[in-house]
Amino acid sequence: MSTESIAWPSTPVESRSFVDRLHEWIATVDHKRLGILYMIYALVFLMIAGIEATVIRIQLIRPHNDFVSPQVFNRLFTMHGTTMIFFVIMPFLFGFANYLMPLMIGARDMAFPRLNAFSFWMTAFGGLLLYFSVVGANGLYGAGNAPDVGWFAYAPLTSRTFSIGHSTDFWTLALLVSGVGSIGTAVNIIATVLCLRCPGMTLAKMPLFAWLNLVMAGLVILCVSPLTAAQMMLVIDRYLGGHFFDTQAGGSAVIWMHFFWVFGHPEVYVLVLPAFAFASEIIPVFSRKPIFGYPVMVGATVAIGFISMSVWAHHMFTVGMSSAANNFFVISTMAIAVPTGIKIFNWLATMWGGKIEFKTPMLFCIAFLFQFLVAGLTGIMQGAAPFDWHLGNSYFVVAHFHYVIVGGILFCFFGAFYYWFPKMSGKMYSETLGKLHFWLFLIGFHLTFDFMHIPGLLGMPRRIYTYEPGRGWDTWNLIVTIGVFFQAAGILVFLGNLIWSYFRGKVAGNDPWDAWTLEWSTNSPPPVYNFASIPEVKSRRPLWDLKHPDDPDWEYE
Amino acid sequence: MSMDTLARPDGQTKKTIEMPAPTAWPIILAFGLTLVFAGLVTSSSVSLLGAILAMSGAVGWFRDVLPHEKHESVSAIKTISPVSTSRPRVAAVEWMTEELHRARLPLEVYPIRAGVKGGMAGSVAMAFLAVMYGIISGRGMWYAINVLAAGFFPGRHALAQIGTFQWDSLLIASVLHLLVSLSVGLLYGATLPMLPRHPILLGGLVAPILWSGLVHSFIELIDPLLNQQIDWLWFALSQVGFGIVAGIVVSRQQRVPTRQHLPFAVRAGFEVLARIDKKDGGEPR
Amino acid sequence: MNAISTTLRPAELEWELPERGRVAMFALIAAEAAIFSIFVVAYLFYIGKSLSGPLPAEVLSPPFLYTICLLSSSLTIHFAAKRIRSANVRSFGAWWLLTIILGAIFLYGTASEWHRLIYEDGLTITTNLFGTTYYSLVGLHGFHVIVGLLGLTTVMVFTLFGTVKQEHAERIDVLSLYWHFVDAVWIVVFTVVYIIGR
Repeated sequence: MSTESIAWPSTPVESRSFVDRLHEWIATVDHKRLGILYMIYALVFLMIAGIEATVIRIQLIRPHNDFVSPQVFNRLFTMHGTTMIFFVIMPFLFGFANYLMPLMIGARDMAFPRLNAFSFWMTAFGGLLLYFSVVGANGLYGAGNAPDVGWFAYAPLTSRTFSIGHSTDFWTLALLVSGVGSIGTAVNIIATVLCLRCPGMTLAKMPLFAWLNLVMAGLVILCVSPLTAAQMMLVIDRYLGGHFFDTQAGGSAVIWMHFFWVFGHPEVYVLVLPAFAFASEIIPVFSRKPIFGYPVMVGATVAIGFISMSVWAHHMFTVGMSSAANNFFVISTMAIAVPTGIKIFNWLATMWGGKIEFKTPMLFCIAFLFQFLVAGLTGIMQGAAPFDWHLGNSYFVVAHFHYVIVGGILFCFFGAFYYWFPKMSGKMYSETLGKLHFWLFLIGFHLTFDFMHIPGLLGMPRRIYTYEPGRGWDTWNLIVTIGVFFQAAGILVFLGNLIWSYFRGKVAGNDPWDAWTLEWSTNSPPPVYNFASIPEVKSRRPLWDLKHPDDPDWEYE
Repeated sequence: MSMDTLARPDGQTKKTIEMPAPTAWPIILAFGLTLVFAGLVTSSSVSLLGAILAMSGAVGWFRDVLPHEKHESVSAIKTISPVSTSRPRVAAVEWMTEELHRARLPLEVYPIRAGVKGGMAGSVAMAFLAVMYGIISGRGMWYAINVLAAGFFPGRHALAQIGTFQWDSLLIASVLHLLVSLSVGLLYGATLPMLPRHPILLGGLVAPILWSGLVHSFIELIDPLLNQQIDWLWFALSQVGFGIVAGIVVSRQQRVPTRQHLPFAVRAGFEVLARIDKKDGGEPR
Repeated sequence: MNAISTTLRPAELEWELPERGRVAMFALIAAEAAIFSIFVVAYLFYIGKSLSGPLPAEVLSPPFLYTICLLSSSLTIHFAAKRIRSANVRSFGAWWLLTIILGAIFLYGTASEWHRLIYEDGLTITTNLFGTTYYSLVGLHGFHVIVGLLGLTTVMVFTLFGTVKQEHAERIDVLSLYWHFVDAVWIVVFTVVYIIGR
């Protein structure tokens, strides 16, 4: 009989040795611990990629600066982009999905706990492999050499001829490895949502968080796989002498673009759907109203999932596609604004008439609403092919997608950190520090990314390591760089808040926000088994039903 | 029934729960696979080591789950405190019927025809102001109409043409004007109950001025020639005229209750609603 | 016309959810299908774009026999899964073994075709675009056949040791789903490479 019976150690944490505790974390298959591992891992890489961004901005603070060399600059923006997408936001969202999904649907763990651990470690080792290139890759000069081909690594820059040494291989292999982890986690999330819901939680009674993450996982499966396939082709080209992207042998550089953006654009929605999920949980609780238009929100989510698979080539208007292709991708790009707009209106309608509490998570979500709207508007501007011909590859593009990723996604992630920190740690964060973080980051964000649009409109191309004075770009670049320091200060306050609150914070209690989803019904932090007895739900807000037995939700759903 | 399942502190009766046992095989498999790939950029011996690790990881994992998944028993002794709230009272809205139900805000909206009426009234006001401008400024009463349709006729910027009557311009301008007026009117009707204070001021003055500013800054970039033909003061004035007239017309309409608390099938007319009396045991009658 | 009430009272809960293994396998199959579709698109895109020979029309002939072998293995695995559900382990083992043999024959077919292409026709992965796309696509499929055969063989070994029982029918079903997928992909690859591509 292989069923082992190990009593859960009931001794307090302090009495176990460091090695024991380390072993517990490394061998864990518990979804909560893996979620926290994902988040800590992502926070570490957030620091690294943030420092890279800061160095990039210092280099661009004035014309003819020579803070770093052009070669180092190329590596910096490649590593910054790759790290932020694959090793910061992806682990963040997988971490939150891991931690919260079983708690929200009333399960004890993910569907495949061991696959869960495997996926995390694949992602983690992928990131380490990427950064090993800094010391391990034989680059052009024989020295350690990080990848320098940009985060979308256009062919033929990645061919053996133009990328000598192993730096590009590190990039490819790291993404292959972490891609396996991403697909594994996505499979796990789908199986968890579909197979482990507690009794009574039909698909129509799941929290929106579960719906959005389900669609996110579906998108990961459909978009990370093409990236994996494209990376395989690149490996075949580089190692076996294939000609997929070899223009000398009749291969096509444009097909790499197609393959990359078939991944790249749905990926944006992979990143943003969890952000939507956080907003859909946080905004109702701090507005003291149920989410407005739940069925429409679900429908819009699924619509986004579908439409996002057919918009990729709006990244490629400048490569000279046929006008039929241009028209198709312009129209589909415009179309995706509709479900996204529905979502924004529904969040606004949720807030409308509510008793809004301006706690830190809510502040971040409100800022998200405004900033995501602006990001969407500049997105529509560039979604129009003629406009994109003018602005393609300029700083306007950089400003736009940072508006999406920082102003939209990262703000929501910060909100989620503050919202669920009491549940994860059992301690309350410092509201003062949280607000300080919010305002510092808000000011920094707008200084940086609002003003970044302007040099783009004035013709400043992206990925240049320096520029001539007197083109009207100087002042804007100075302001942009100043904003970075505000953001950095905000992040430091955030980290300080997390650490200080973890050790010194007030005890939070099970349900500090008077919220309505199942995770708030168990202890903070939840016990290893989550729920002593599996709950049974009758509505979308099970805790509301318990708190207001005279006026339960299920009578109206 | 199910409602106290959540709150019931099950922990009082000591029980054990089976959880998956911790295992190191997944990390070994992951590390092995990573080394297999890392060998491609370092040396083949790394790949070999990775392959060995991956194999042992896979076998170990296999033995973990087959023939039976390994579990550990966790004793659930912690009591779970019952769910409570500091806000037990629910604000109820007495509205329309005596039945207790939830209010879905907004309770009342303007009907679609209010938006249509407002848009049409606004369009008349706007057209009147535009034609007035043409006459007062001496550019001819067809001036504004031709400018509106100018996007369709790239050649017609000459001053001589732009003040005269052209039937195709009139047709296109009328269609454009009516369509846009209609959609703005509908938007007006939809958003008016959501404007918190001074709806006429916001919708009639602030929004048109913002809109004029936006159009002003764009037209300059898109078509500088056209830009020269537009008197922006009058442009803004006619927008404001539209806004105020449409606002007044819409706000004078009777509001209708929303039926958002009803199921979709009822709202769509597939099913009819039967009243329920709780005292009768919930049987529909 | 139906009369429905605004206060919905849920009936006694019947709570049945899909089985996690099947759901996960379907999700994995979706991911694999996405990978294959990218390779198929690349193959279709590069048809006729090779700058030098050998070209598909000169060197490829449709491997009908091996194709029939692989496709019929879908049937045999279906019968095998049916037998294990009715606890007929001996018959299960026989059908399962037949599946493995059919899969191995197919793999031999691919290997011998590659051998001929490399040593007689001089087509390697570096020769031209046709070589690159052909070996990648067929190789990717072959890799999946190998993985499938490894899984099937593992089950076979445990069957011989007598540890496979009726209670494992669920898991064997999941494995057979994967095998059906491998077969279905071959239909696509066959059509693209041997019919459209020539």
